[in-house]
Amino acid sequence: MVSFKRELWQNSSPAVRLAVISLVLCGLVFPLVITGIAQVFLPSQANGSLVQLHGKNVGSSLIAQNFSLPIFFHPRNDSASGVDPDITVQDAYSQITRISTATGIPMDMLQQIVDQNEEGTFWIFGTQYVNVLRLNLVLIQTNNSAYKAFQ
Amino acid sequence: MSTRLSKMISVRRTTLISRKVLIDSLVRLSPLRLIANPVMLIVEITFFIVAAMALDPEAFPRLANSSLQIFYGEVALILLITAWFSTLSDALAESQAKNTANSLRRLEMEVSSKKILIEAGSRRIVPTPSRDLRTGDLILLEKNDTVPIDAQVLEGIAMVDESLLTGESTAVRKAPGDDVIGGSQVLSDTLTAKITVNPDETFINQMIRMVESSKRPKTPNEQAVTIVLIGLTAIFTILIGALLGVSLVLSLAADLSVLIALYVCLLPTTIGALLPSIGLSGISRLYKEKIVAKSGRAVETAGDTDVILLDKTGTITVGNRQAVEFLPFLGFNERDVGEAAFLASWHDDTPEGRSLIRLAYEDGFVPKEMNALDASEVYEFSASTRTSGVKLAGGTGFMLPKSGGTGRERGRLRRKFEPHVEGGVPIGSDETEIIKGAPDAIKKIVKSVPGDYDKVVQEISAAGDTAMALSRNREAIGIVRLRDVLKPDIREKIMAVKVMGIRPVMITGDQPLTAKSIAAEVGIDEYQPEAKPEDKYDIVKREQAETRIVAMIGDGTNDAPALAMADVGLAMNSGTQAAKEAANMVDLESNPAKIIEVVMLGKQLLMTRGAVTTFSIANDVAKYFAIMPVLFASTVPELKALNVLGLGLNTAVLSALIFNAIIIPLLIPLAMRGVTFKPSGTMTLFLKNTMIYGIGGVIIPFVGIKLIDVAISLL
Amino acid sequence: MDWKEYFLAALIVNIFQMALAFVIFAFQGVLPLNPQGFPGLSWDLAFMQVISFGTNTNLQHYSGEGNCVQLPNCTALRPGVPGLSYLSQMMAVQFLQFTSAATGICVAVAMIRGFIIHSKDSGNFYVDFTRTLTRILFPLCFVASLVFVGLGVPQTLTGYQITKTVEGAAQTILVGPVASLASIMQLGTNGGGYYGANSAYPFQNPNPASDVFQIFLMLLIPTTLCFVFGQLIGKKRETRPILWGAYALFALDLLIAFTPNFPVVGPGMEVRFGGFFSVFWTVVTTAATTGSVNTSLSGLYPLVILSAFNGMLIQATPGGKGVGVMYMVMFIVLTVFIVGLMSGRTPEYLGLKITARDVKLVMIAFLVHPVIVLVPTVLAYSTGAAGAIGVGTNSIGFTKIFYEFTSAAANNGSDFLGATANTPFFNISTAIVMFLGRFAPIGLLLALGGSMINRKRLTTEAGVRTDSPLFALILVGSILVLVLLTFFPFLALGPILEFFQGRVNGF
Repeated sequence: MVSFKRELWQNSSPAVRLAVISLVLCGLVFPLVITGIAQVFLPSQANGSLVQLHGKNVGSSLIAQNFSLPIFFHPRNDSASGVDPDITVQDAYSQITRISTATGIPMDMLQQIVDQNEEGTFWIFGTQYVNVLRLNLVLIQTNNSAYKAFQ
Repeated sequence: MSTRLSKMISVRRTTLISRKVLIDSLVRLSPLRLIANPVMLIVEITFFIVAAMALDPEAFPRLANSSLQIFYGEVALILLITAWFSTLSDALAESQAKNTANSLRRLEMEVSSKKILIEAGSRRIVPTPSRDLRTGDLILLEKNDTVPIDAQVLEGIAMVDESLLTGESTAVRKAPGDDVIGGSQVLSDTLTAKITVNPDETFINQMIRMVESSKRPKTPNEQAVTIVLIGLTAIFTILIGALLGVSLVLSLAADLSVLIALYVCLLPTTIGALLPSIGLSGISRLYKEKIVAKSGRAVETAGDTDVILLDKTGTITVGNRQAVEFLPFLGFNERDVGEAAFLASWHDDTPEGRSLIRLAYEDGFVPKEMNALDASEVYEFSASTRTSGVKLAGGTGFMLPKSGGTGRERGRLRRKFEPHVEGGVPIGSDETEIIKGAPDAIKKIVKSVPGDYDKVVQEISAAGDTAMALSRNREAIGIVRLRDVLKPDIREKIMAVKVMGIRPVMITGDQPLTAKSIAAEVGIDEYQPEAKPEDKYDIVKREQAETRIVAMIGDGTNDAPALAMADVGLAMNSGTQAAKEAANMVDLESNPAKIIEVVMLGKQLLMTRGAVTTFSIANDVAKYFAIMPVLFASTVPELKALNVLGLGLNTAVLSALIFNAIIIPLLIPLAMRGVTFKPSGTMTLFLKNTMIYGIGGVIIPFVGIKLIDVAISLL
Repeated sequence: MDWKEYFLAALIVNIFQMALAFVIFAFQGVLPLNPQGFPGLSWDLAFMQVISFGTNTNLQHYSGEGNCVQLPNCTALRPGVPGLSYLSQMMAVQFLQFTSAATGICVAVAMIRGFIIHSKDSGNFYVDFTRTLTRILFPLCFVASLVFVGLGVPQTLTGYQITKTVEGAAQTILVGPVASLASIMQLGTNGGGYYGANSAYPFQNPNPASDVFQIFLMLLIPTTLCFVFGQLIGKKRETRPILWGAYALFALDLLIAFTPNFPVVGPGMEVRFGGFFSVFWTVVTTAATTGSVNTSLSGLYPLVILSAFNGMLIQATPGGKGVGVMYMVMFIVLTVFIVGLMSGRTPEYLGLKITARDVKLVMIAFLVHPVIVLVPTVLAYSTGAAGAIGVGTNSIGFTKIFYEFTSAAANNGSDFLGATANTPFFNISTAIVMFLGRFAPIGLLLALGGSMINRKRLTTEAGVRTDSPLFALILVGSILVLVLLTFFPFLALGPILEFFQGRVNGF
């Protein structure tokens, strides 16, 4: 017990030093260095992959936003995070009839837009999906008449 | 070969459950005695709990059901029987070991000696058993006497055969001041010697102590296995406690008796019950081989042996050489040599001498001077000349000698002997002197040495044999080739040792060529020729420096340091006190070849312990599937899907419990006789036993429990 | 340092580090880098969280992004949930994630040193720790962090971004120093995410590429350490039983998780990257005892959960960095001892004879787990703590509670309860379980390694060959039997029962 106490005492000085040094290195220096490099070289991703429409931020391509108008593709609301920015290609197809009815854009054209924006495979992994915000921005930018309010 | 070996190590079992064993097993059920076996103590405690449930279910609210009183009674009974099976196995093993130990008392070395009593200046010889000799006693040692205990020569010069003790085939000359070793044999002349040590009975006493379970110290491996069992018991105790808690807090309504049944089924009861008897029977099996181990630890270590030092004489060869060929010099023929050898050996009762007669007889070289032997003058072997022989004076031929040889030999000769056509040669007044002996000794007494004398002798040595020269009337007539005779089975045993990955090293006092040829014949790659007894110590040290576990035998005083240093040292009972003290095992039959059996037994002991432990743990898998579906049957019926065996819900628990109990007596024979195995490599044994006791241990209870369940439901 | 000094040094340094992090957690409200203005954590939550991160568990009874219900479009987040400031994320969470990972590697190496021929001691913790940080973790995390940023993971210290959506509503974009944290959390098998939803939150796991990259990071160091073992002891072949054993069990986990039910995820549940990815991730995160999730556990089939239990109960498939190897060595020693006895030799491993004391250490290390999992599981119900947070007494509820303590004991950190378990009972009980689950086995296994130093070593290789494929198979069998024997009834009342009750997904 005596030797244990002595060891505890002998250990405490380098232990405190190591604890403080590691706190500064791991908790401050490392994240700040990464932040600096990221902000310089990858500013868009580092700041949340914000998406612009007409020069103004309209959200992040990685975070779902609420679309309620029938003219837009809608995200799903049932996922673990609640902010999944993507829907499956099948989900997108199923919304084509509604959008076509609301906007008058031909269904095959909508299907073409969906197909052109498919993403989601990494090598052999993952299933095909489409980004809702991206699809809607394409709709806005390619169909001036139907999306007059958003020009 | 391997079956013979395994038969050798699987000892026949003749134990019957006697009344005494039965009573002993019941006495051992006392909780105070069971404390030594925690697993079984817990089984007994659970018996008391379930018995209380049977008597008064109301005392266990939420845990017992008064309609199940009979069931509780049944469970309690099986639990008690489980504990009893364990004490029965203990009692059986101990009684068996004690019986064997007692029978060994009779084997205690008893040599009659000639004690010299000096009373009023006159010497008197009193036959005395060696046990009654004490330090300082004087004894007379005459030709063919066995030295009873270590002694120091006071008078006389004699040749003494120490081959069984030192491994050296040649006779040793002993003069006043020299020590003679207990167990050696006087070959010629007479000695007076003084006893230097007291006979000791400690081995037998030690042995009896080892078999009394209460005093028997646990071996290191046994201790470790016990820790595993205690650990598993702790785990299952926590598990069952938590399960009881879960059942209460989630209102799953588990019955305490079923929970206890699961508990006891999971506990390593099989190995818990059999562990003590496995160790004890291992020692018993050694006793049956007439070997006394001073500690159980040495037996375990024997299983780890990497290198085994084998003395050539006594282990590999029978200890004496035998004549195999007669080689005449120029001017003589084989018959001359054979007949001379016959005559010279007629009065020589050593195995070597008898082998000369046998060879001559088989080759048909029975001399016509036979009856002259009656009137012959015998030259006894003398240490100073290193020769022996016979001088024949006259003889009529044809007639068989009336003396010498053995009755059986004379009978055989009568049938074989045919007079030569030309009739007997009257020897008349001519004297014929035939002398045999070591080639260099004969060289000194003959009138002229044939030109090829040295060449023939050398050739014989080169072939690994020994030469003996013969002279007739001081004329060298030929050489007899003597060859070491291998022990029966030794080649198979060496092979088995090698298969198990153990390296045999042969130790011999022979010259290199002889050693090489014998080693090659039995399949040993490594040998130490011209070895002095102290060389063994160096070899042990060298091998141990390479981290090998060394087993060896020894008996001479010179062997003591090596025996003490070796990991497994087997001393011969005929050996010196010092050797016996230094060794960790003693062979009462003084058969050095048994070192191989010791290694086998060591392996078998460890294997058996591992097999029953693995089997016991593997058994648990099936028991879950038997009991889990029933445990929460009333509240969680979906778990009945786990009832893969289709057991009856009312009988499943009893079936599992009965299997758990019955497997103990079923495995008692295995525990007592040990796992049978063919000598093979470590990995082969490991994989084979894992298949049998590991995988088998998972499958067998499924089958067993199902069969019991069917049987119960038929009742 | 001998093993005692080494252990003591590791323990003291870890405790000081946890103490520093405690201060940051408790006082984050008054400390800088708190643009959201989160208040300090309650003392019991702060206590539980520092132990959680300090023991490499990363059980989280909070949600990193906090209660931002007052912020626009933050509805997915539960009200009343504590959140963390940027400073806390960096100087408490990330800090302890680095140090606990480094400690894990250090103690594993210290134990392995005992098995190295001619080694004199267990090493010097201070030196090992510093080198592990500067030579392994910083360089790897540096690269990994930048890869993450490149894939879309934010790394910024400016506050949450408020934007206007296309349809004109206000929306809060929850950014922060995520990438640097995500790198060490996966690489160090910590698992504590920046966000409450962990890697199910798009910012922490933007796309399939980042998903695969994170799986790779989780397995990287635990797998590498299997090789380090063989390399350090100078017998590369001895990596085999550890590696083969770990991955055979891992394959078995995958088999359990996938075979019986395809599709593997219940309808309507999280399928960001498809059911396959969610299940594969879950198996990996428990096999490596990381504990990060890319999907809600509640959406998974019972057999996937069973597979997750397997990973956490065995802890060596390949297990958390460092401790995974230690546990596998423990299992090997136990297997060599019990099954190896049947070879007819007294058991040895790496030429070292297994003594009664070794067996004692191993058995106690093995015993710790059932005690710290089962006792608090019962207590959670008997004290009413489970009922207080709305967990029922059926198989679903039991699975959640059993999972909570299994995860805590295995220093995994994945859980069903999340921030709902932010109650004094769960905070304190899991803290104790995590602490014991971490340091008791480490101390015992360090003692095992330490006792090998200067022990007579047989170079004869005459014992059971542990580097053979058949041994690996027997090892796997023994591990399964030993672990399942210990926990089977509880698994039977949890995920197995759910399976029999025909639950598709039910939480």
